[in-house]
Amino acid sequence: MSSLEIYHAAIKVLAEAGTGHGRLEAPDGQALIDNPLCGDRVEMEVAISGARIARLAHRVRGCLLCRAAAAAIGARAVGANAEEIGRVATQLAAMLEADEAPGAGWEGGWAELGAFVPVRGHRSRYGCVLLPFKSLLAALRAGGS
Amino acid sequence: MKWVLYEKLRAATAAGISAALVTRLADGAQSFFDGERWEGALEVSAEQRAQARRMLVADKSGVLPGEEGLFVRSYARAPRLIVVGAAHISQFLAPMATLAGFEVTVIDPRSAFASTARFPGVTLLDGWPDEALDALRLDATSAVVTLTHDPKLDDPALIAALQSPAFYIGALGSTRTHAKRVARLTEAGFGDGLARIHAPVGLDLGGRAPREIAVSILAQVIQVRYRGGAQRDSDGKLGR
Repeated sequence: MSSLEIYHAAIKVLAEAGTGHGRLEAPDGQALIDNPLCGDRVEMEVAISGARIARLAHRVRGCLLCRAAAAAIGARAVGANAEEIGRVATQLAAMLEADEAPGAGWEGGWAELGAFVPVRGHRSRYGCVLLPFKSLLAALRAGGS
Repeated sequence: MKWVLYEKLRAATAAGISAALVTRLADGAQSFFDGERWEGALEVSAEQRAQARRMLVADKSGVLPGEEGLFVRSYARAPRLIVVGAAHISQFLAPMATLAGFEVTVIDPRSAFASTARFPGVTLLDGWPDEALDALRLDATSAVVTLTHDPKLDDPALIAALQSPAFYIGALGSTRTHAKRVARLTEAGFGDGLARIHAPVGLDLGGRAPREIAVSILAQVIQVRYRGGAQRDSDGKLGR
């Protein structure tokens, strides 16, 4: 698979939508996580209500894959708690590692994550896809969730 | 000297921006010039501005060619070389340029590469290139070279450099790589001024080893500083 295939249309659309990009007025938790090997960095801010994400905003400096994953979070993460986000991240990592897409569907209906199937086998790029999830989980921890 | 011009010069110097004071010897009328802004009593042609700019870039003072008797007094800081990308070439280029009299800064958000162990004694910034370059306030005696091998990092750096009065902009990559880069930057709306980018970077010395490429880049930066962009002499705005 050529490296260009991982930048297929669905990923581009997701990245360019940039869902959730921005800042929160008074976040309960925030985190800035970077990838020291490629320079991608994801800043996440969350407002938490009853241990669930009430609002979130992110700012990404990074590649298309990283921006697309952050946009998927922007579209789906509101309403989830840290445990659920953790399961989605685990499911996503497993999908990248294994040959099969999640059989029972995506936890919480995160269908956008199917767009990352072509990244499989590009081991050095897994971190790009997972970085926004790491940042979100860190922001939730910082917010006490 | 008019107080307002003195204040401009003082503010530029305090901010680390190279600037010149241009005086018409016949009547003492003066203007302030930092390579971008020309402010004061003198009205000059584009060619005279380009000549004054070249003197400022080279930190030279003297009378411009022509009848008018315009004296340029340059107040230049040490020239700066900003290397974007803590790459192998950069490890040679940074100390060489320091020895050659440049203030060297290396920018790379990839902290695995931008370590003090790899760049002893060099100013290292780990921000994204465009943000770091904006904070550095590039001036007419600044040179920028991009060496990250990653368009995600090189492109924002080049866009920031193109919006500055930097006298030299260079980008690593083959002719083919540069053609793709030009297409990307043009599509992104930065088509104007792309001829300022020296690519493939460096003088053609024939060497291909990282240390040899570092020499060719440094030689080209010095050449452009004193002679202007070689292939750009017909166009007064570019490469100076």
